[in-house]
Amino acid sequence: MSTETNHILIFRTNILTPADKLAVQHALDGHPQIEKWTVDLDDIDRVLRIVSRTLCCEEIVRLVSGHGYQCTELE
Amino acid sequence: MRTRNADKELLVKQKAIEMLVRDGFEGFSMNKLAKACGISVATLYIYYKDKDDLIVEIALEEAKHMSTAILKNFDPEAPFEEGLRQQWKNRSKYMLDNPTNSLLFEQLRSSSYHDRVFKTLTDEFKDTMGRFMKNAIDRGEIETLPIEAYWSVAFAPLYSLIRFHSEGRSIGGKPFTLSNKILWQTFDLVVKGLKK
Repeated sequence: MSTETNHILIFRTNILTPADKLAVQHALDGHPQIEKWTVDLDDIDRVLRIVSRTLCCEEIVRLVSGHGYQCTELE
Repeated sequence: MRTRNADKELLVKQKAIEMLVRDGFEGFSMNKLAKACGISVATLYIYYKDKDDLIVEIALEEAKHMSTAILKNFDPEAPFEEGLRQQWKNRSKYMLDNPTNSLLFEQLRSSSYHDRVFKTLTDEFKDTMGRFMKNAIDRGEIETLPIEAYWSVAFAPLYSLIRFHSEGRSIGGKPFTLSNKILWQTFDLVVKGLKK
């Protein structure tokens, strides 16, 4: 809860299962500019939450889309 | 840039507790909560990373709030009857002032969140309560007895009265409102039962 709110990016995805999560995990875990990330698999929007001081939404969308998943910014 | 807004956060907490009590943990969702608060789902995810995180964070905060309320003006070194009287005052006030929160704790007690929430109930709270009981035993004011037996006699009658009051009815559906007279009459019996 201490993270600065303007370093948090929120997306709607179709990361549906733990297997899907695993498929993006490598890219997200290994990204030096991503501090933390979580996907809420229980939620209807499968919300992806990224903590990064430097990345912008487009970069995350490209990264996740590159692994074959839909990813759009949640306003 | 999105910023945190204290009023909005408070609204989220209140609504979340209301919805959790009304719909249960299974029926609760981040989407429904966002709608009820008139905020976007994204904003909610700024505050909490998922439903579990939200439930645990809110419950922890409320547990801290509750232990502060219960320890208010309470001296574990006080004579037994005086200390227990303060406990009854504090506990009944907290439960009557925060009926929804009390229901949430009931739900949490029998849920998978139990350990994460109650293990972290502040050490100060547990130490103070433990010390109070030990003092009373050491001073020979009450019999030596297991903490569970002590708690069941010292507090369960109070919780039972509060439950009747919150539900508005007692045994067999008889309408019931808790009065000071009944509260302290019960307290006197509890003290009589525990004292040597």
